Amino acid sequence: MGEMRTQVPLSDLLTLSAVGLLVSTFGVVVRRSFAGWLSAYRYQSIILAGSTAVIAYETGVWEIYAAAALTLAVKAVVIPRLLVRVTGSVRDEFKIEANPFVSVRLSLLISTLLVALSYGLVRQTLASANLDVFAVTYLPVSVSLFFIGLFVMVSRRMALNQVVGLLIIENGLFLFTTALTQGVSLIIEVGILADILVGVMISALLLLRMSQTFDSFDIASLEKLKDD
Amino acid sequence: MTAQALEVVAIGALQLVAVFALAPLLTGIMRKVKARTQKRIGASVFQPYYDLSKLWRKDEVVSDYSSWIFRSTPWIVAVATITAALFIPVFVPLSPFSAAGDVLLVLGLLALARFFTMLAGIDAASAFGGIGTSREMMMSSLIEPGLFLTIFVVSLTFGGTNLTSLVSAAARTGIVIAPTMLFGLISFLIIIFAETGRLPFDNPATHLELTMVHEAMLLEYSGRSLALIEWSQSTKQLALLALLANLFLPLGMPASIDAGLLPLGVGALMTLAKVALLAMAVAYVETRVAKWRLFRVADLLTAAIASAMVGMIFFYL
Repeated sequence: MGEMRTQVPLSDLLTLSAVGLLVSTFGVVVRRSFAGWLSAYRYQSIILAGSTAVIAYETGVWEIYAAAALTLAVKAVVIPRLLVRVTGSVRDEFKIEANPFVSVRLSLLISTLLVALSYGLVRQTLASANLDVFAVTYLPVSVSLFFIGLFVMVSRRMALNQVVGLLIIENGLFLFTTALTQGVSLIIEVGILADILVGVMISALLLLRMSQTFDSFDIASLEKLKDD
Repeated sequence: MTAQALEVVAIGALQLVAVFALAPLLTGIMRKVKARTQKRIGASVFQPYYDLSKLWRKDEVVSDYSSWIFRSTPWIVAVATITAALFIPVFVPLSPFSAAGDVLLVLGLLALARFFTMLAGIDAASAFGGIGTSREMMMSSLIEPGLFLTIFVVSLTFGGTNLTSLVSAAARTGIVIAPTMLFGLISFLIIIFAETGRLPFDNPATHLELTMVHEAMLLEYSGRSLALIEWSQSTKQLALLALLANLFLPLGMPASIDAGLLPLGVGALMTLAKVALLAMAVAYVETRVAKWRLFRVADLLTAAIASAMVGMIFFYL
């Protein structure tokens, strides 16, 4: 018999959530439809809220609980619903990434390299810093989220993907601050969340106008300036 | 030494009989679960045995234009699969053939079986065989790197490629919650779906459909040859699921063959239960997904490769 564990240790929980965050980010890279991206983003936000709650439990700061609850409410419920609502009138063929600048398979492999890059970077830059277990686990993950979100934004053609990429980057930044500082003041968290909400609303409005004016979400058709 | 050798032979014989006898039952369970989740009654779980015995007694039809490859392929596939199954420690932490080779040989034997299946698919010169073969070639060229990377992840984590020591090490450490093994597990799950021809990749329930892959290569087979190939397909499924269970979820498996009869028996029963549960999960997933377009299948296989790559990266970090 292997050694029996009496309870799930903290490090296992942290590892599981870190892997879950990475897998859900890969989900955004591998899916081709808007619904797929949104569901991957939703899972990511739920895991993010869970890991925030773990940090809150371990540090005992009630403000982080509030931040976790807010994350769950805003990122896992409000933002996906808002995006689905706004894009409801858009034709389905504009919600599918049929012809990205970098193919889906290549982007997957590049994403793995980005994960390696961010782990290497964080290990190197923060090798001497005296970090706790949360920072050690989550900082590289947050940097990979940042990189992969950025990569999704530049490598895809559909404007909806840009929004999802931005949301992933924001998740990465949120994880970064929470893991490193263990509790920015709640006011700041609320401010950031409100900012994101407004940002998504504005971009959703822009998307709507885009679809009405150009009848397409293809950002390649936005590159040329027209005079008329 | 001789007592030990006798023990290995006895375990090998028992495993051979058990794997060969239980493999169709596993297929039957999977079909039953699939039928129940689709709100059908479904055939009895013993239906694969009836099918096989009927096929075994039936006459064979062999095309005049086919060569020896077509005739010998079922036997080669069956022997290669059974040998591969004997390399895998299925019920006890000992692989009966482990003195002769390691996990890489298992992959080689499975590749040999696949290679001859593909040859036989083109040999009879039917249009379907060609379609199936070209699809299988495309998929296996992506399955193999993923499978190899996954095996490397496991080998690096536990040290070595010898299956006996791998399974013993897994049993000693219990479930490893490390990013390496978790990503390896994800990759291995996807690979198992692909390798056993399950739904997002290939529909095992169809016989005349343009999307078929594995069945298209076997379309010319009948009678005893078909029975042999189907039987080895079930065996491969059982062996791979047992490998997954023993490497990634080694609950209840004793760490050594000297643990005594009771822990070994419990371990064997636990393995059977785990394999049955995994098979049910596979069948359940199969009802939840639809067959993917052939060129999207590559996305999923690349996801498996990427996941195994991430596992490797985590090992070296």
